Amino acid sequence: MRSNLLRICFLFLLCVPLSWAASSNPPDTHEFMLSNGLKLIVREDHRAPTVAHMVWYRAGSMDEVNGRTGVAHVLEHMMFKGTNKVKSGEFSRLVAAVGGRENAFTSRDYTAYFQQVEKSKLDKVIELEADRMSNLNFDDAEFLKEIQVVMEERRLRTEDNPSSLLNESLMATAFMTSPYRHPVVGWMNDLQNMKAADARDWYRSWYAPNNATVVISGDVDPKQILKAVEKYYGAIPMHELPVRKPQIEPPQKGIKQVQVKASADNAQLAMAWKVPRLEPGKLDDPEPYALELLTAVLDGYDNARLNRVLVKQEKVVNDVGVGYDMISRGPELFLINASMAKGKTVAQAQTSIRKALEELKQKGILESELKRIKVRILSDQIYKRDSIFGQAMEIGGTEMAGFSWKDIDYMLEKMQTITPEQVQAVAKKYLVDEGLTIAVLDPQARKSEASVEGK
Amino acid sequence: MMNTLKIIAVVYLLAFGFLNNANAILPIEKLDGYKGAKGYLVQTKTLPMVDIEVSIDAGDRYDPVGKSGLADMVAALMQYGVRGNNGSLTEAQIADEIADLGANIGLSVSGERAILRIRSLSRKDLRDRAVKLAAAMLSAPTYEAKIVEREKQRAITNLLEAETKPEFVLERRFTKLVYGNYPLGNAPTVKSVAAVSANDLMQFHKQFYRGDRMIISIVGDVDRSQANEIMQTLLQKTSQSGAPIAKLPELQRSPVEPLAQREIQIPFDSQQAHIAMGMTAVTRSNPDYFPLLVGNYILGGGGFVSRLMAEVREKRGLAYSVFSYFSPGKDTGIFQAGLQTKNEQAAMALEVMSSTIAQFIADGPTPSDLIAAKSNLINGYPLRIDNNRKLLDNVSSIAWNDLPLDTMEIWTKQVEAVTLEQVSAAFQKYLAMDRMKIVVLGAKNK
Repeated sequence: MRSNLLRICFLFLLCVPLSWAASSNPPDTHEFMLSNGLKLIVREDHRAPTVAHMVWYRAGSMDEVNGRTGVAHVLEHMMFKGTNKVKSGEFSRLVAAVGGRENAFTSRDYTAYFQQVEKSKLDKVIELEADRMSNLNFDDAEFLKEIQVVMEERRLRTEDNPSSLLNESLMATAFMTSPYRHPVVGWMNDLQNMKAADARDWYRSWYAPNNATVVISGDVDPKQILKAVEKYYGAIPMHELPVRKPQIEPPQKGIKQVQVKASADNAQLAMAWKVPRLEPGKLDDPEPYALELLTAVLDGYDNARLNRVLVKQEKVVNDVGVGYDMISRGPELFLINASMAKGKTVAQAQTSIRKALEELKQKGILESELKRIKVRILSDQIYKRDSIFGQAMEIGGTEMAGFSWKDIDYMLEKMQTITPEQVQAVAKKYLVDEGLTIAVLDPQARKSEASVEGK
Repeated sequence: MMNTLKIIAVVYLLAFGFLNNANAILPIEKLDGYKGAKGYLVQTKTLPMVDIEVSIDAGDRYDPVGKSGLADMVAALMQYGVRGNNGSLTEAQIADEIADLGANIGLSVSGERAILRIRSLSRKDLRDRAVKLAAAMLSAPTYEAKIVEREKQRAITNLLEAETKPEFVLERRFTKLVYGNYPLGNAPTVKSVAAVSANDLMQFHKQFYRGDRMIISIVGDVDRSQANEIMQTLLQKTSQSGAPIAKLPELQRSPVEPLAQREIQIPFDSQQAHIAMGMTAVTRSNPDYFPLLVGNYILGGGGFVSRLMAEVREKRGLAYSVFSYFSPGKDTGIFQAGLQTKNEQAAMALEVMSSTIAQFIADGPTPSDLIAAKSNLINGYPLRIDNNRKLLDNVSSIAWNDLPLDTMEIWTKQVEAVTLEQVSAAFQKYLAMDRMKIVVLGAKNK
């Protein structure tokens, strides 16, 4: 089986045509711009009678200012607390009544709201979402309850979660001036001192049609959609947005280190390097693509380099992961996370990681490794079309980072042209100590006896 | 803004719509049986891909006493070495092959079953190779001693870490309390994982991974004969049956007990207290499944609009997340409700959650609650079946739980038929406050 397998494998790779994934009727996408500056993107997908409706605001935690961290996310919560027409909590009841699923999410780059419904219910959710774009009206009592909920969310996801605490310190250490240094949920003290007026100011500043992109995917007719969107969103007046200061992070000049003590059994290590991202208008810059591929070469599948060497061969770490996203509004990090294997130290893990990276920098990567990753990228283009929600997410995220949905396919094609030498080159150029931040979780025993059995 | 008349209109129109569209729901085809396994197919031709699931009756409930975690490892380690037709494949070769195919092969284990899932492009050469690889995992994993030791150590390290996490400690204690001596009450521990040997894995695999304990579900771009072919390739080297397997004990219904015997406090120095409450409940095939589904939507299942959400979060700001659910399976599943809140208000939050549940059991839903719940479940049904992945989840559940093959077609009618009286009667029949187990984990909270 083995030899046979290898032969077929070789043949297959030779035969993969680049257009292979895009073969069966590519999705139909349409873009419109309303006179009030609202952008509408419609992705037709008629496989099932359902629709995803999203509105994305280009306002995330990176747009917050001192003392008000977390306000973008707090406002996301307040968006369910009533408008001039719809009283508090009613938004969710109305969406539920038409069988909808809904939620919202806030990131460093944006805030987005979505509903998924059977297609005949689309008008209703467009009407509701458009209403809260300009008519939000919550009272102080609602704010005072909801800010408590947000603090519970922070306790749940960050305060009692050592990995989150580590990540929070890593970001705050890696970045000096970039607003990326603040957590999306906000610092606890800022939440404790937040006022309803802060949330209202945020809303008035950023929630405008000219700062929003509506993405609708599913079994829809773009002409009808445009009519509905014009009817409900079209009447909302545009207004001037606050000035965004660039707040460019100055170059890092040497290693930074931070230690976090938190309740855990096992030490964790995070190593993060400052790396470039893809810039709008510079889609041909090979470096971000090479960094994406480097991520996958190190961590893209079970036998990828770091897992193979560190987890399976050397058994120095229990788990390892690599993160990089070339698409974002703010500065990017190339991040390696590891939790130690039993009895191994952070120093040993760091040595092994550095050794693996050094080998890659010196000897480069195999053509076969890279092809493997590229095949995965091609097949994912088919798989991602199984979910209309996922397609709307991809379009929205890309638009928010300053690109067009039309760039998505171009980026994927560009990715296929990257060579092993280009991957090696970005590793050599960017995975260096000058731009490195190291964060270590120093595990502390809990004071309580968690594992006591019995009543 | 929302009045009752309006909602009635919505439900009425929708019911009409669904009658017209009844044929839009794709049918489940029963495949030819093979090696004692059953097979089911839903053909979706719009994307050149296929999802294949093998369910094996080899879940955690079969873990031998003192070796909890065995069933999990049996499944997980199938991807770390197999004997193929012409020699062996190492874990590295298996991983490279999956990657080269652009396929995914995933393994998971729940209380009841082990699940192997393949996602592949439907092009025959690629699909065939993914299926052959999965076939080797199902029939001939090697469980090499060195790899077993490594993975045991990793599992133990993960367990030790998990034991510092409030949600894990709560869940493990709660599960033990509800399941008692039933096998699912015994979660893996450092000791039980350490006790597992390579030979245990081999024996368990041989005993449980056989055709007559498997169900195959396929969704995607293949026709019936291709699906039958996939099934035969998957099971080619798998044995049809084997020695009889001892029957599991009956899960005893949570008994009526005084509070002091049902409630446990676990001291834990986290910022939040974590609270769980629940008891044994029903199987998926229970005739009261739909009244319980509709009722739980109202009580704690319906996202932002449930009663628990309204009382705990919306009215009082006590928690970010609060929920209730039933987890019915082939076996009796449990009912569970839970929340997390800062330690100082744990007692208050528990009181609000308890009284909300108690009141719902005692009084049932209001007529407008019932209309809203049905309206959501019926209007939203298309969202449960609108892609291959979700269809596979449905087919898999239908096949595993021995439900009728037209379950998806009649689902909305069954929801529609639920009455107020049925919801009240079902909640009173299966749930009772004096049977509920309660676990509160957190810093001193009295």
